[in-house]
Amino acid sequence: MKVDVIMPKMGESINEGTLIKWHKKKGDSVEKDEILFEISTDKVDTEIPSPEDGVLVDIKVFENETVEVDSVVAVIETEADGAVVEEASAEPPEEEPSTTQVGGELIDIPMPKMGESVMEGTIIKWHKQVGDKVERDEILYEISTDKVDTEVPSPVEGTLAEIIVKENETVEVDTIVAKVSTSGGLVKPKEKVDTKAEEKTEPEVKETKPEPAPQQTQSKSAKPNSNKFYSPLVMNIANKENVSFDELENINGTGVQGRVTKKDILNYISDRKEGKTAQPVKESTQQESRESKPAPKLEAGEGTKIIPMDNIRKRIMHHMKNSRDTSVHVSAMIEVDMSRIYNFVKANKSKFAGEGVKLTYMPFISYACIRALKEFPLMNASIDGENIVVKNYINLGIAVAVEPNGLIVPNIKNADEKNIRGLAKSIAELGQKSKNKGLVPDDIVDGTFSITNYGVFGTEFGTPIINQPEVAILGIGTIIKKPVVVEIDGADSIAIKPMMYLSLSHDHRLVDGMLGGQYLKYMKETLENFDTSIV
Amino acid sequence: MSKNYEIAVLGGGPGGYVAAIRAAQLGFKTVVIEKDNMGGICLNWGCIPTKSLLKNAEMYDNILNHSKDFGITVEGVSFDFTKIIRRSRNVSTKITRGVDYLIKKNKIERIKGFGKLKSKTEIEIFDDEGKSIDSITADNIILATGARSKTVPAIPVDRENIITSTEAMILKEQPKEMIIIGAGAIGVEFAYLYNVLGTKVTIIEMLDRLVPVEDKEVSDVLEKSFKKRGMEIYTGTTVDKAEVKDGKVHVTITKDGETKELIADKVLNAIGVTGNIEGIGLEELGIETFKNHIVADRRTYRTNVKNIFAIGDVIGPPWLAHVASAEGITCVEKIKGLETVNVDYSSIPGCTYCQPQIASIGMTEEKAIEEGYELKVGKFPFSASGKAAASGEREGFVKLLFDAKYGELLGAHIIGSEATELIAEVGLAKSMEATFESIIKTVHAHPTLSESIMEAAADAYDEAIHI
Repeated sequence: MKVDVIMPKMGESINEGTLIKWHKKKGDSVEKDEILFEISTDKVDTEIPSPEDGVLVDIKVFENETVEVDSVVAVIETEADGAVVEEASAEPPEEEPSTTQVGGELIDIPMPKMGESVMEGTIIKWHKQVGDKVERDEILYEISTDKVDTEVPSPVEGTLAEIIVKENETVEVDTIVAKVSTSGGLVKPKEKVDTKAEEKTEPEVKETKPEPAPQQTQSKSAKPNSNKFYSPLVMNIANKENVSFDELENINGTGVQGRVTKKDILNYISDRKEGKTAQPVKESTQQESRESKPAPKLEAGEGTKIIPMDNIRKRIMHHMKNSRDTSVHVSAMIEVDMSRIYNFVKANKSKFAGEGVKLTYMPFISYACIRALKEFPLMNASIDGENIVVKNYINLGIAVAVEPNGLIVPNIKNADEKNIRGLAKSIAELGQKSKNKGLVPDDIVDGTFSITNYGVFGTEFGTPIINQPEVAILGIGTIIKKPVVVEIDGADSIAIKPMMYLSLSHDHRLVDGMLGGQYLKYMKETLENFDTSIV
Repeated sequence: MSKNYEIAVLGGGPGGYVAAIRAAQLGFKTVVIEKDNMGGICLNWGCIPTKSLLKNAEMYDNILNHSKDFGITVEGVSFDFTKIIRRSRNVSTKITRGVDYLIKKNKIERIKGFGKLKSKTEIEIFDDEGKSIDSITADNIILATGARSKTVPAIPVDRENIITSTEAMILKEQPKEMIIIGAGAIGVEFAYLYNVLGTKVTIIEMLDRLVPVEDKEVSDVLEKSFKKRGMEIYTGTTVDKAEVKDGKVHVTITKDGETKELIADKVLNAIGVTGNIEGIGLEELGIETFKNHIVADRRTYRTNVKNIFAIGDVIGPPWLAHVASAEGITCVEKIKGLETVNVDYSSIPGCTYCQPQIASIGMTEEKAIEEGYELKVGKFPFSASGKAAASGEREGFVKLLFDAKYGELLGAHIIGSEATELIAEVGLAKSMEATFESIIKTVHAHPTLSESIMEAAADAYDEAIHI
């Protein structure tokens, strides 16, 4: 049987992709799920696995060609003897096998709510195929949202009965993406003949929603904080056409003061349908005007290489720029004598390791940071228009570098309720999850203050960018032994001390130099006089 | 050595002088070249003098026909036609002087004469005798030469018996009979004017109804009103010829295959306007024209020749002063390189100042249906408005069209008293992309005619209170 391999749909707004690399040649045999080719879209690059075992008999799209979603890219012959490499196109693909329920309960698997502001998710990979057995809590599929990528476990034990949302499709939260049969009582249609008798005993189809997180629901029309004005008509169209607020925010407006007009949103919707581009390029209103300078166009050539940004890079770019555009960044630094903690860590590292806790400086610094935040609650706040939102909980963000080029800031929820051990564990856990793509959006949202430890790279001090909507971020420098002047019994002398710079970038809209300085001083005093007996 | 300017505007009408002022505001060294008074047709021979005449007509109409409805007895009412005309001219002169002042205030150079493009950057100026009197150069040239009455061979305008709107507003004496060919805004305004003053007015329109660009229901109300006033109306009628015999004009018309001859003192040719594209050097420079209009991009107002722009009536319909002004401003802002908003041609209000007044914006119902919209239509008659009843102006209605799918306000059509002032609210609503909720949730003062707009919006969604 010949199976068409198609250009997958990579997201709502993506209607074409460029084939960047073939991993197989015509005539090669491929296994199911083996990488067949790589594609690049304006959102992400990804590798596409083979849908079936077989032989790659025809390649219809060559490297660097861009084709529309659903175009046939290649043909695979699944039966070995039929595997004659040929040019002629294959017959239309057969319908994907569905299954027949013959007993047990069918449980709907909805797209999980991934956080307050996340309205939709893209299924990036199914770990199970229809008919596969699945354990409770076993990973069923992976999703990608505009916040994080995560794996979603099965809420029940059973058999994957039906996949409703295919890979690379984007659906709204709560959309049913699959059905799991709890008793494994289902068969593929090929075996249908054998089970006709049983089929009559149709089971009660019961819909149970597996533990939707008790998140605040937010309708599409809900208008999050934005300084932009959207006309009633544009809001109506957005609602009717399911244009999310984030999308709306990214549409280039051509109206008065850059306002998004009916025409802009309708163009956006039609582009989205046609898959031209997620963000229509703003029509230049100053064509050839005397003041407009043409931007130098980058072309790959001698000495340059053009690398399209991946999704993570784009997100980081967006967040960083947004933060710079939002907050008035100022940075202040203080030097801290880390002798006490340094000695304690040195003395107790192996002991803690035995207990499974990796003892680093971070838990201590976090602990001191949390105390300082308690002392100066305005540091643990955000700005909403002309109001200050002071938070009485502390969700401490820890910036984690993700190889090769990612950066993410998950936060420790209610960090003020944790002791040093608890913090150490949480920090290690978040680090692990970040590296293993195990973060869920809730790990990312609702942070109240962040720490970034660039000291691990040997950096002494930096001026970090605030993680919005927070008002400050603490940068941790590396600890270096330095000669410092100490006063012993009224006499100055030089001692060697493990010294560390803390730098605080704060949003001058809310946090002035005095508060920033007081905060740093408080941290310094806490760290220098750390009561290690509490550990 | 001729003087060099950054922007030269050819034509001092509502397109040209507004463009020049905006250019001066943006710091351009600007010159405007106009052979006549500043203000163009609009201020000299159009909008302003006709509105002045129409105000006379309206007052006389009220005194003569409506004073007794209000319990006022007026006897021996009469008018002096020449004084009516003189008042109109005075108003016009006053307003054009105002423009002269604005030009001076903005330090714009004003050259009186007929400008002709000599090259892509040069304009030569001629006096009335066609003698070259000056020459300037400019980095950017904006053509705003406007339009004039269109004529056809069948109706040979002699400016004596067969006249255009220009002559119609400065006649020495009131004609006894007048045939008006063309029932667009100009035609029906003069029809109302002369009918009120006692001239026997006949209107001939080639299309099937009066004011054919307006919504059909508007045409119906107007026709009923005009007929009641005693006008004779021939729609769907073509004019085969018009001839002057012994000081009278004989007009041969055909309606439904039947031919008829009408006779009148004066025939007003109001069949439309045509762009002033002659003698300004377009052919020599290869500036593209189409059907007597300059071809210009409706966003940048560029012609096919670099740095030569064109705005207003000379680039074709809708031939409205306010459109010319908007185009002039936009054009200059784009030359400056400002981020500006394109003129929204779907939201241009159009006003006709006969009584009942007509004002509209956006699509007619016919057009909207043709475009495939599913409509929600709301209509509120002034007969249900308290203010209209109090004022004795119960004629007409407000009609609003909404797109059923997204709630967009697609069009508004108002006929009745003060329609031309009422349309402004709808214009703002439309340009701000308001939906019906926005209109009905805006508290409208009571009692006003504008409440009718709110009610019409509500009616579209079956929420009207007063009908």
